[in-house]
Amino acid sequence: MFITADTIPVTRAAIIQEILDSPLKINLMELGFLPGKTITLHHSAPMGGPMAFKLEETILALRKTEASLIEVQLL
Amino acid sequence: MPESPTPSLVKSPKVAIIGNPNVGKSTIFNQLTGLSQKIGNYPGVTVDKKTGWMNYHGSSYEIIDLPGTYSLYPNSEDEIIAHRVLNELSDEERPEFVLMIIDSCQLSRGLFLATQLIDLGLNLALVLNMADIATRKNIAIKSFELFKTLGVPILSTDARGEKGLDQIRELIHQQNFSKKSSFINIEEVVPASLLNEVKSKFGLSNSYQAYQMLRFGEKDKAYSQDDRNWLKTKLAESTIDLDKAQLEETKIRYRQITEIVDKAVQKTPDVSQEAGVDKILLHPVFGYLIFAGILLLIFQAIFAWASVPMDLIDGFFAELSGWVSNLLPEGPLTSLITEGIIPGIGGVVIFIPQIAMLFGFLAILEDTGYMSRVVFLMDRWMRPFGLHGKSIVPLVSGVACAIPGVMAARNIGNWKEKIITIMVTPLMSCSARLPVYIILIGLVVPDELIFGIFNLQAVALLGLYLLGVIGVFFTALLLKNILKTKEKSFLMVELPTYRAPRWFDVLLTMYTKSKTFVLEAGKVILAISVILWVLASYGPPERMDAIRAESELKLAQASPEEIPTIENETASHLLENSFIGIMGRAIEPVIKPLGYDWKIGIALITSFAAREVFVSTIATIYSIGSDTEDELTIREKLNQQVNPETGEKVYNTATAFSLMVFYAFAMQCMSTLAVVYRETKGWKWPLIQTVYMTALAYFSALLVYQILS
Repeated sequence: MFITADTIPVTRAAIIQEILDSPLKINLMELGFLPGKTITLHHSAPMGGPMAFKLEETILALRKTEASLIEVQLL
Repeated sequence: MPESPTPSLVKSPKVAIIGNPNVGKSTIFNQLTGLSQKIGNYPGVTVDKKTGWMNYHGSSYEIIDLPGTYSLYPNSEDEIIAHRVLNELSDEERPEFVLMIIDSCQLSRGLFLATQLIDLGLNLALVLNMADIATRKNIAIKSFELFKTLGVPILSTDARGEKGLDQIRELIHQQNFSKKSSFINIEEVVPASLLNEVKSKFGLSNSYQAYQMLRFGEKDKAYSQDDRNWLKTKLAESTIDLDKAQLEETKIRYRQITEIVDKAVQKTPDVSQEAGVDKILLHPVFGYLIFAGILLLIFQAIFAWASVPMDLIDGFFAELSGWVSNLLPEGPLTSLITEGIIPGIGGVVIFIPQIAMLFGFLAILEDTGYMSRVVFLMDRWMRPFGLHGKSIVPLVSGVACAIPGVMAARNIGNWKEKIITIMVTPLMSCSARLPVYIILIGLVVPDELIFGIFNLQAVALLGLYLLGVIGVFFTALLLKNILKTKEKSFLMVELPTYRAPRWFDVLLTMYTKSKTFVLEAGKVILAISVILWVLASYGPPERMDAIRAESELKLAQASPEEIPTIENETASHLLENSFIGIMGRAIEPVIKPLGYDWKIGIALITSFAAREVFVSTIATIYSIGSDTEDELTIREKLNQQVNPETGEKVYNTATAFSLMVFYAFAMQCMSTLAVVYRETKGWKWPLIQTVYMTALAYFSALLVYQILS
């Protein structure tokens, strides 16, 4: 079952399935959020704040709304 | 130190440096060019044009530092620049060579941009930077493998450790860049026939250039209306969806890059060291406490350290005025120089210690990788007010001085969030308000403890700072609901690996930021100082002459110890009857409901230059003399002022608080005005800001006075 990245539990790894259609799709892809890549939730800011994902060797921070555009499968 | 070469007959080749954010691009630029850097403007945007010269073995090269970007498709003003410079049609403007910096740990993301540059047909060389970190993370890159597939020269460096920089200099000197035909075939995405038409119409040499022209030319005002209409018609005829095409291009490009990277990179999994540090620095409680602690330390340092050079600068310009006025014959020209121009320049220079130190600290926080963490922590609390996580930097700077704050708002990509940040930053209580607050609080708030521990005066001061913060969030909310934008706000920010700051870069930031401020804002500040000087020194001639004649008469009869008193009284009378004095009287009916008389009115007008001028103006008005060092004297004098009509004290509690609230909100700082003008590229926003802040100040002060009196 696929979920979106904003619901990944901390430190759990997941494989990106698809980036959902939105004006930000291209920005996410340029940063390297591509189907097939593995992401891990590095840290979540409190009270629904941004989420930081580990993608290969980088840590990238996204807002929850942007994370919800990334469809993943938990590993 | 390399000198900027004078324009010679032989044009120096241009080399543009480009790369993703946080790859050490600026370090390489700084190392290559040193102090020969020059900051200019790109037309129509606020992004600084950073250029410098590299001199090597007797030749000189112009180096252009382009803003960091992830792709050729721009999302912010910064990225538009990279796009524009590289797509430049005229050979005159286009850089001959492009040096692309890639983070060795983020090879695929770097190659994404690099291969776009290859497709554009640019003369390219790649630098794989941060080789040391890659080694530490067990990443091994076979650069020869990369070279075989990409066909452009590749260097491996560690710019922080200054390794490989000579190789870069040598590469530039040998002009060892190369052009490759193309990396992806853009004709898979856009029909070749259309691309060929664009190519022949604009004389372009390859299909990717033609594709970029199709994508952006129609909206780019650099091209003629005819050309843009032509592109528009072609696009409409072809029915291709450019957004879809871009997505398709991204997929194809990354697919090919992944193949290359798989072959060229060997990775053994490592455990990230960031996790441990971030557990503490991003902790829901400690994270914020640590941030507050760091802020406190920075302000402590700025207040303690900056006051020394600021006093020196103040003293120096006062001395200089005195020295020049003794040297030159008395007359209006001398007076313009000693009372208008020299203090005007002094008023600009005095801000340098604070600006330099604040930018120094910001550069350290940025460089260590901590600043992105702050953005991460604060975004959620800024968003409800129409601000961005990145707005925290300007707001925090605003406590020391709004000028560097407004300048720091520049890297907020979203137009609306940037404007709101610029509009609210001057409401933070800056250090120039402090002298005004201290004098007035000392006047009306008793120096005693409440609840046995809190000093009442300190509580009042804290209250004024909080008032500023409330003003910020109230105004931000207001603007959030007024301003409209179609741009979607988003946060995509890298949390870089923690690293020690590079001191050379920190110092260079302090130097270039101060220089920009002096050169750009300085002009406006100087002009306003001179205007204020004219208004304060001249008045209707018959009145001014009468005062001078009377004063001379008195001086002739006076005993030596009476002379200073008479001179002070004369200065006070002259100011009263100058144009500013007349303006002060004219606005009295307007400011009377706030509890101010015309003398305070004069101080309000003169302190438009800068808030702290309030103190020296009232010193002159109440003939205390020019020595305003002794705050106690001013305080005593103010305490004795009695309203001739009512017989009550002028500076009663209601008036003093009304004044403090006025100064908390009013835009009494032409330097800020000048910087807002510079950052927003026009007078619209600084004017709106001044009108709004003055109105806010006026009505809040009115409310306070009416309640308290």
